[in-house]
Amino acid sequence: MSPPLVCVGLSHHTAPLDVRERLVFSEERQSELLRLVAQAPAEALLISTCNRVELYLSGPGADLGERARSALAGVAGEDLSSFLYAHHGEAAVLHLFRVAASLDSMVLGEPQILGQVKDAFEQAQRLGAARGELARICACAFGSAKRVRTETELGRAATSMASAAVEMAKHVFQGLQGKTVLLVGAGEMGELAGRHLVSAGSSRVLVANRTLERAVALAAELGGEAVAFDRMEECLILADVVVCSTASPTPVITREKVSRVLKPRRHRPLFLVDLAVPRDVDPEVHTLDGVFAYDVDDIQRLIDENQAARAAAAARAEALVAEEVARYIRQRAVREQVPVLAQLRARAEQIRKGELERALGNLPTPLTPEQARVIEAMTSAIVNKVLHQPTARLRAVQSGDSDLADAAAELFGLDGAPRKAGEG
Amino acid sequence: MTARTCFTLAFHAYALGALAYLSLLAQGWKGLGWVARGLTFLGWILHGIGLVQLLSAQRWVPSGFGQAVSILAFLLVAIFLVVDLRTRAALLGAFLSPAAVAVLIPSMYMGVPGRELVEGIRQPLLPVHIAVALTGLAVFGVATAVAGVYLAAEHTLKGKRFGPLFRRVPSLELLDDLNRRLVAWGFIALSLTLLTGAWVQSRVRPAERWSAAELAVAVAWVAFGVLLQARIFAGWRGRRVALLTMAGFGVLVVSFVTRYGPWVAR
Repeated sequence: MSPPLVCVGLSHHTAPLDVRERLVFSEERQSELLRLVAQAPAEALLISTCNRVELYLSGPGADLGERARSALAGVAGEDLSSFLYAHHGEAAVLHLFRVAASLDSMVLGEPQILGQVKDAFEQAQRLGAARGELARICACAFGSAKRVRTETELGRAATSMASAAVEMAKHVFQGLQGKTVLLVGAGEMGELAGRHLVSAGSSRVLVANRTLERAVALAAELGGEAVAFDRMEECLILADVVVCSTASPTPVITREKVSRVLKPRRHRPLFLVDLAVPRDVDPEVHTLDGVFAYDVDDIQRLIDENQAARAAAAARAEALVAEEVARYIRQRAVREQVPVLAQLRARAEQIRKGELERALGNLPTPLTPEQARVIEAMTSAIVNKVLHQPTARLRAVQSGDSDLADAAAELFGLDGAPRKAGEG
Repeated sequence: MTARTCFTLAFHAYALGALAYLSLLAQGWKGLGWVARGLTFLGWILHGIGLVQLLSAQRWVPSGFGQAVSILAFLLVAIFLVVDLRTRAALLGAFLSPAAVAVLIPSMYMGVPGRELVEGIRQPLLPVHIAVALTGLAVFGVATAVAGVYLAAEHTLKGKRFGPLFRRVPSLELLDDLNRRLVAWGFIALSLTLLTGAWVQSRVRPAERWSAAELAVAVAWVAFGVLLQARIFAGWRGRRVALLTMAGFGVLVVSFVTRYGPWVAR
């Protein structure tokens, strides 16, 4: 039997940006919507990011999907049905697991989505909208996403110019802590790469630009020092990482210039990223021992390789997610068997006690306390032995189908199993 | 469990560990690193038990080339495990554990005990000399593997090949720093080897001149000494140092094999 979950929403797969823009929620509106749709016994979760808006509803009733659709339409103030998708039961669980693991993201494997889903879950918990089955599904989704992060390479490789430059630098240096970055040119690309390098731990930033004022402004923003452009060779002695983004028509960093600084640098590795077109760094620089220079084409090739690696890792990640969904379904099936078992045990105990009382009442002389204890223990042992096999079999249900529990309920004349109530 | 059984089990554990390390290189799944470490550690424990059983019966002096390489493999794995645990550079295992398996193969097929390693000399300092010499060789062995990984990593960076190897190799800085530490420790061990060796020789064969193999060790000692000086005072590092480490280790291996190889007449 499928889990009582429905997901209705839209994403970059189904809706263009102008439609997604119309469904941007403020936090108050999100809370309002959750309170509206998550009235007990229903539960709700709202994931709202720039690339998706999804409303998950869990609880009894066959109209969960319709309720979710009308709630979203109410927020948008228009009919969104042509952009909306809906997943029910196990498919909805799988979808949530895939979203959390970043398998449904625009940039496959991007790390932000897991944090966004966790934030959405915390919000739902705060409002009391996720408290039972939905909370369990979310916990399993987070566990599954963590497995995908640790057991596959899905999120390990950079896919933007600036982060790819940092990734490359980390192949030369163990870490960027304590390293000196030299920004040659105060252009936008250089600034972005500089910010990434600073956030990755670089301790000192030097900015060299032909217009000193711009260098001073950028250095102030990055917490670095501005240096005159003609002092670049001096800076090359100090720098570990150099990012170039000038508009110069000819290379500003030549092989000769770098050769001259190798000895004063005591052969420390030098890593250069050339984001300028035309190039600022003479490609011959890369042939020097201990010098590693990369241009925009190289970085783009790394990004392409990374994206291909992510796509390859996605196949394994999909298998992991499917495994985790199956594990959740099995756990749920086991949880569902517990009421049947409890009823079965209670019924047997009731019969045992009734029959024991009747038998003892029919005796001509009352038993001594010792004899009564022996008879009591014997009847308990008979009941336990008779129920041992059915109990073990019901507990061992792993397949997720509840036929066995239904059969037990039918055979032993138990009340309807509570799982019927959860269908939706 | 006999020493022979321990060695056989250890060999298989190392071989499976090597396969796991190679799979780690191919697949990049971190869990494989722990499987590989576990298998290698298990093999190392079994190997150690076997060696203790064997050497305790021989007054702690190895007998024959097979036992010497077995101890060498044991020390290689021990040093590698320490390096791996300290740096989490499991990928080194893809280079080192197959090497350890290869080193262990001769000892598996050479019978136990083998021929006397150094016949007729039973000086009290001899076990120390042998232990220090083999430790030094093992340290330089690991340094050479690290140098090999450095060259492979540098090759991918210089060749701008951003494939799986690029994503999995440790940074050049880490590998170079590891090489520096290992060469420094290896140099200390090599110095002690020469000192203890000279002492043993002076007690046993005072009139005899140094053999070519012993001279090769002295040459390697000078080369590694110069290398360390160049690192400290001239800032040498990277590719040049990696190549020199490999060359120095090559000289030591040639010296070891020509001095103690099974084909050497005594």
